[in-house]
Amino acid sequence: MPLQTDGMVVSNKRIKSVYYLLGIDCPQIAGQIKPGQFIMLKVSSDRSPLLRRPFSVYKSYSVSHSKKGERGCLFILYKEVGKGTQRMTTLKSGEKVGLIGPLGNGFILPPLPSSKSIVLVGGGVGIVSLFPLAEALKDRKLFVFIGGKTQFDILGLKDFKTFNSNIFVATEDGSLGAQGTVVDLFLSQGKIFRRDEEHYLYACGPVTMLKALARSNLKNFICQASLEARMGCGFGACWGCVVKTNDPKIPYQRVCKEGPVFTLKDILWE
Amino acid sequence: MGVTMPSIRNPDLSVTIGKIKLRNPVMVSSGTFGFGEEFEDFFDLNQLGAIIPKGISLRPMKGNPPPRLFETEGGIINSIGLQNPGFQEFITNKLPFYKELKTHLIINFFGNTQKEYVELARRFDGIAGISGLEMNISCPNVKRAGIVFGVDPRMAYRLVQAVRKATTLTLIVKLSPNVTDIALMAKSAEEGGADAVSLVNTFRAMAVNIHTRKPELGNVIGGLSGPAIKPIAVRMVWEVSRAVRIPIVGMGGIMSAEDAIEFILVGALAIQIGTANLVDPKTGIKVIHGIRKYLIQNKINSIQKLIGTFR
Repeated sequence: MPLQTDGMVVSNKRIKSVYYLLGIDCPQIAGQIKPGQFIMLKVSSDRSPLLRRPFSVYKSYSVSHSKKGERGCLFILYKEVGKGTQRMTTLKSGEKVGLIGPLGNGFILPPLPSSKSIVLVGGGVGIVSLFPLAEALKDRKLFVFIGGKTQFDILGLKDFKTFNSNIFVATEDGSLGAQGTVVDLFLSQGKIFRRDEEHYLYACGPVTMLKALARSNLKNFICQASLEARMGCGFGACWGCVVKTNDPKIPYQRVCKEGPVFTLKDILWE
Repeated sequence: MGVTMPSIRNPDLSVTIGKIKLRNPVMVSSGTFGFGEEFEDFFDLNQLGAIIPKGISLRPMKGNPPPRLFETEGGIINSIGLQNPGFQEFITNKLPFYKELKTHLIINFFGNTQKEYVELARRFDGIAGISGLEMNISCPNVKRAGIVFGVDPRMAYRLVQAVRKATTLTLIVKLSPNVTDIALMAKSAEEGGADAVSLVNTFRAMAVNIHTRKPELGNVIGGLSGPAIKPIAVRMVWEVSRAVRIPIVGMGGIMSAEDAIEFILVGALAIQIGTANLVDPKTGIKVIHGIRKYLIQNKINSIQKLIGTFR
């Protein structure tokens, strides 16, 4: 159940180039957020920017102390792209921020028990929402494909390496890993995945990446994609964040409510 | 429980619009409050004066292509395109939620033709649990070359008159601010038989991405709302309050109790919270508390004594 609450900034550091990691003490949300769900963050106490901004949670932990009570933190890995995120970079430890969450439907986990391979495909900052999923599936056979424009856009490499996973990296300029897109790299590794078996694929990244995946006609993969959208409220009230789907009755569905995770083949790319 | 008499310490916040007696003057405006259920996790909806869910049309509407939202300085431009499940689906799947609530339900509705407006008003008339209707006249009349009902005083007058005959429910007419003389539009609604007018709807607006040279909205043009429009909305409520005798429901960028009081001072009997619901879902509650506090601080025992006291 989503709740509206305040959190306290515990850290806000630049990781590299335009990427930052923000830590917020917020046990109520940290204790219940599931992989693929998101939060709406009020990045400033004034009206600039006016709306909250949606963020995936990169890491979260919550612990129960007998003396201190419930403690829990959310970590948001964000990219400075506009006014809202620019403002975020100025947040200092001890500052109060408003949060609403957890919101949306998370990823549907593959059924247990299974030896089937699980593929994660993340582009740029999109890899962020796949990390909690990888953590939840860390005992399974994971194939993680991480892509970005340059080596500076490859995020979470070190963290993913702590899991029992096969990691593949692609950069468009070839500065790290294979040169090309992450989808091309994944397709080039097709022989790893037996054609007579069904595999689970989870993707998050820019629209161009998701479109390329959707066009790849992955017959023996069950693909879920986490979408991004400009959001008004984040909890289903305004219908501002819709995406076109193949649902004949309600073609425009809310990324915040019916999503942000959709079955890839249900999305109609325009 | 005994009835507490209003006093300086416990001011009376109730107001009456047509047949509806509201416990307080704070409503949540159509399009910014979903179907109500989305807000249940955040506060007790019964505290609100009234809830106005997303606008309903006779048939389902799929809405406009995304992107549908763009944030500007102190505001949002939206082009949702009135996406809604249509009358029947609303009655079957959304209305039951309100049966559990004690607050008033006011239905916002619209049509593409006068016939559709009348048909909807008639259908809503007999349904239990509905306190009133708010008709959105900011829609193009498909029978009249797409001229918006709400920008032509005669067309608006005829439309309101026809709807008035179709319903016994309290009828509020929601005015478009995209007109030369909003007081004239309000008078047309009053003459047509409206119990109240609500204003303002959003201002037609657009934004361009200078890198792609494309519009920021899928529909190119949208409606601007939020604190950026508040001073214009206040001016319009003031103009309307001098032109009509029926109650005015004021709205446009209200983010706080102070904003709401400004509207009340220039003549609004009730107010609506719109865009602020998206930023802080509890805004309505905060505004109610703030108004009460203001009345206590100013030793006023009833909100009635505040309405239109702008000097």
